[in-house]
This record gives sequence, structure tokens and C-alpha cells, in this order.
Amino acid sequence: MQTGFTNQDFINFLIVMAVLGVVFGWAYATKRMQKDFTTTTWVLIPVAVAINIAIGQLVLVLKLPVYLDSIGTVLVGVICGPWAGALTGALSNTVAGIIFDPGWWPWIPVAAAIGLTAGLCANASFFKTWWKVVVTGFLIALVATIVGSPIAVLLGGISASGSSLITAFLLQTGRGILESVLTTNFIVEPIDKISTSLLAFAILDGLSTRFLARFPHGENALLDQQRKTSELVIAVVIVVILVIVTNVFVVPLLNQ
Amino acid sequence: MNDRLSFYRKKNSPIHTLNPFTKLTLTLALIVIGIVGGGYWTASLAVCLAIAPLTIFSKLFGDYLRVAFRLILPTAGFMFVMQSIFIPGGVTELFRIGPFSIEVETVQRSYLIASRIFLMVSAFAFLLLTTHPSELMTDLTRRGLPPQFSYVLISTLQIIPQMQAKAQTIISAQRSRGLDTESSFMKRIGLLVPLVGPLVFGSLVEVEERAIAIEARGFTSTRVKTFLHDIPDTHMDKIIRWALLALIIVALASKIWLS
Repeated sequence: MQTGFTNQDFINFLIVMAVLGVVFGWAYATKRMQKDFTTTTWVLIPVAVAINIAIGQLVLVLKLPVYLDSIGTVLVGVICGPWAGALTGALSNTVAGIIFDPGWWPWIPVAAAIGLTAGLCANASFFKTWWKVVVTGFLIALVATIVGSPIAVLLGGISASGSSLITAFLLQTGRGILESVLTTNFIVEPIDKISTSLLAFAILDGLSTRFLARFPHGENALLDQQRKTSELVIAVVIVVILVIVTNVFVVPLLNQ
Repeated sequence: MNDRLSFYRKKNSPIHTLNPFTKLTLTLALIVIGIVGGGYWTASLAVCLAIAPLTIFSKLFGDYLRVAFRLILPTAGFMFVMQSIFIPGGVTELFRIGPFSIEVETVQRSYLIASRIFLMVSAFAFLLLTTHPSELMTDLTRRGLPPQFSYVLISTLQIIPQMQAKAQTIISAQRSRGLDTESSFMKRIGLLVPLVGPLVFGSLVEVEERAIAIEARGFTSTRVKTFLHDIPDTHMDKIIRWALLALIIVALASKIWLS
């Protein structure tokens, strides 16, 4: 019988899932996970999921070349901790699967990894200035690619999303499925995840210190008072540049 | 609870009276058997011989067809066409479209993947059509899922319609101030700030009040909680669940030893 994927692809998938499982198991066993979940965290999570879905849908309607469907996940990851962020990501995809289309469910591990990475970076105080946020966004994109590519390969490499056109193009030039999926994700993900992180940074910047202090890791989002405005302006400018760059460089590539 | 948000259709049928956990097991069993169970046609047969009769039995065949044609078929069909055309590697050429040759092997492989995805999504659509999400969560909570999880899932489903209403209010308010919402593309991007800003900050500020409100009702209390609605779990349910579990094990075992 000919299947859609080789055993090596399946082994890659199992390795990634096993690593994620070990990380979560370890955090649960050492009680690191439980510290993230206070009452305010539990209440913030549904709001963050709703933000993910609302903004994700809005961006879809406006036909921007990004997804921006994990702003809430990054937000929770930063102020409530990595494990709460992972839960938010997983629940966002679960709920999107219930409301729109169960095709969201295979991507639950990716969404969880995004929240986890955002939280870990923020705990290492990498969410305080705009360039550190850009680095965080890049790391999130890297992790999302590593976790997402084996899943994409198992689903056949080409899904219904727009970025699949790049994968299709690369496949036709004679590259393997895994290589094509990885290349596509390396083009699309950093732009999307850096924009997401910068927007989450802008939202956190607008919240009061008193409000942030309610959350387990609220101090992750505090930055120096004097530099606030300029940082925010730079962050927003970078998002705009990234969106324009995709419009100018990536979209023509698709039309070739 | 807003029913527009879920697929759930209330009908009077034997499937609807089954315990939600039994239906969840049934869904997972269908997926596992369809995907790991050998043959080329297994997934397609599972859709025709299991999911279709089940939806007819639960008086939801029309609703299922609507979901299938509107959601599942476009996705699976698009993937099938794209993969057939673009993934190289076949030997026997079927026909050519411009620079792309379409091979028999690729078409077969794409059909296999598309039919499996069709099965997976159909099985979950069946679960969501016959089971109300909050019923499923209540039952899972009684079986040991932390109650916080069901709170988060159910309150998300309630917050989204509230947020849609709030977004409408904000759009109306900004329009009354003279905001132009029907202009060029770049202008519409600029509109995101006055529309999304109040929505996001308004929702976040509510979090604090909500936290105090649910804490006052013993949200984090560790005492055993009671349930408002009783969800029946009959002997029949238990027999069905064990039978399904046995089927899953047989499918996995045959995959491991026979291949």
C-alpha cells in the first residue's frame, strides 16, 4: 500500500510530539506548571482565545498576507507564564475547530508551542524592548516551524492555506516534501510571528501597571518609563514595514 | 447559550440520548480505524458505511450533507487537486496540463490523504452535530477533567458572541464620529487601530471584575462540586464503549503485526 508519507516522516512527527510531551510532563511533575494558574489567569484565557479568533478573522477578511491569529496566546504567555500560554494556544485551536471547521485541530501542538516559547522568552526578560521582542518573534517562528512541519508533511504538504502555493512551487522544482514545507514556513512564519509579538507588545504597553500586577508574571511586560513611546513607535513601524515587504516581495513570487 | 456558534442540532433520536463520552469514543474509534486500518478504501468506506448511516439514524443527514459540502469537501477537494498536480514522483503518466504532468501514483496517494482528512473532519462534525459542547464538558468534568478546563472552553464560546456585539457597537460609534469604513485598502488598514484598540482593551479590563466575581463563588475551592444537570450513563453506553475500545485495539494490533 502506498501511503502519503514515509516512515521517516512519521518518526519525525513522533520525536517532536515526544519532546513536547516530556517538557509538559516535567513541568507538571515539578509543580512549575501549577504556579501559572491563578484565578485571573483562568479568566484571562477565554478573553485571549476570543482575541485570537476575532483578530484572526478580521485579518482574514482584510486579506492581509499574515495570519496574526496568536496575539492573545503570546499575551497570556508573557504575563501569565509559558504553561498558561500553551493552554491558551491549544484552546484557541480547539474552539476554532468547534466554531469554524475541525481542520484546525491538527495544529493544536503548534499553537501550544507558540504560547510556550513566548512565555519562556518573556521569563528570560526578552519582552522588554522592541528588538528583544523581534528576537522573541523570530524564536517563536522557529519553534512553530519545527513543530508544524512534520504535521504539514503528514497531512500531505499542501493544505488549503495561501502559503501552500509556495510549497507547491518548490515541490514542482524537484525538492522533497519535508524540504519544501520547511522552506515555506521559514518564509512565512517569521514575518507573521514577529508582527504578532510586536502587536502583543503594543497591547501590553497600553495596559496599566496596576492591571498587569494581577497576573503571575506581570513584571515581564514592564519597561522603562522614559523609553516607552519611542519603543512603541518603532514596534509599529516594523510591523508596517514587514507587511509592505511581504506585499512587495513574497506576493509577486507567488504569482510567477 | 448562543446556538449559532456551535454545529449542534437538537433532535429526538437514540444517538442524541447516548452519553457524550460514548459519542466521543465513537468518533475517536472511527478515526483510528479509518487511518491505521490497512486497505486503500478503508477511510472512504468508513464515511459511507459508518458516518452516513449514523447521521441518518440521528435524523441529521441533511445537516451533515450541508457541513460536508460547505466545509469539508472544498478543503479536501482543493488538497486533492493541488497534491495531484504538484507533488512529483509518479511513474505512469495520466495526462498533462501545461508544464505539469499528472501521474497515476500521485493521484492515488492524494486520494488516500484527502479521504482520510474527509473521514477525520466528518467524524468530528458528527460529534459536534449530535452533542452540545457544554454537555460534553460537564460529562468530562464528572469523569475527572479539572473544572477549570470546562469553564475556559464554555466561557470562550459565550464570550465570542459578546465580543461580536461589542465590535458592532464600536464600529457604529466610530462611524457616528465620521470614520469612513468603505475606502481604499491602505485606509482600511489604518482603521484597524480605532476599531481593534477599544475592543481589545475593553475586553482585557473586564477580566479583573470577572475574576473577583467567580472567586466570590468558590471557583478555586477544592471541595467536591455538585452538578446542576444530570447526564445519564446507561449500561448500554458502557457496553458500546468497551466494544469500541476492543475495535481500536484490534485495528492497531492488525496494523502492527500484519504490515
